[in-house]
Amino acid sequence: MTIEITTYLIYLATSIALTIWVARTLHKNGRVFLVDVFHGNEALADSVNHLLVVGFYLINFGYVSMALKLGYDIADAKEGIEALSVKVGMVLIVLGVMHFFNLFVFSRMRRRKAVHDGRPPIAPDSFTAVKQEV
Amino acid sequence: MASLTVLYDSECGLCRRAHEWLAQQPKLIELVFVPCASAEARKLFPELNHEWTKADLTVIDNLGAVYFGPKGWLMVLWALTRYREWSYRLATPELLPTTKRVVSAISQNRYQISRAVS
Repeated sequence: MTIEITTYLIYLATSIALTIWVARTLHKNGRVFLVDVFHGNEALADSVNHLLVVGFYLINFGYVSMALKLGYDIADAKEGIEALSVKVGMVLIVLGVMHFFNLFVFSRMRRRKAVHDGRPPIAPDSFTAVKQEV
Repeated sequence: MASLTVLYDSECGLCRRAHEWLAQQPKLIELVFVPCASAEARKLFPELNHEWTKADLTVIDNLGAVYFGPKGWLMVLWALTRYREWSYRLATPELLPTTKRVVSAISQNRYQISRAVS
């Protein structure tokens, strides 16, 4: 096995493991947000949660796969590790961006929900009698 | 809360224009417009100090909670589907003093502003 093939294989194994780990974290911890957003409708929350994770996997694996090619020759293990660190670093950054985007989506959904069963933004100055229309 | 009664100054052009704009906005809560210190207003709220309502916008909910001036404006925003989020944002402790200052300045100069824009 040449050094290039070894680098590619390590890259794939690391990227896939990282993606799965992040997706699982999101799936596990995002659920409670979604249950809250959907007013305790757990079936709907689970379904949306699952769909979000599928999208997450698609984008990340798509990126990992597109970024696989090195485009230059590797002479020894040192260069292999260097190339690997750049590649894995990029995958980590993409995962981080996706992760924060997901958090943003969750918090957006929560805020929207808060808007619709909201209380008045401010307390009244006083109270007065209201004449009931007969 | 089912509805908000807005006591507005029907003699000011800016207020009438705001009224027209509000009438077209999608609402989460019904807004009822009554000219301030009018016979109708006095009938609806017999215990309210009506001289006071001439000074600034007054908003009263169907249970009798009175929101005066900047608070009234925030409540009107809160009633609108598109602006409810803004009412919360403008009422945060960081922004509330500025909101109050700007709204009071507009209210106090409403006749001048009306003249300037018409």
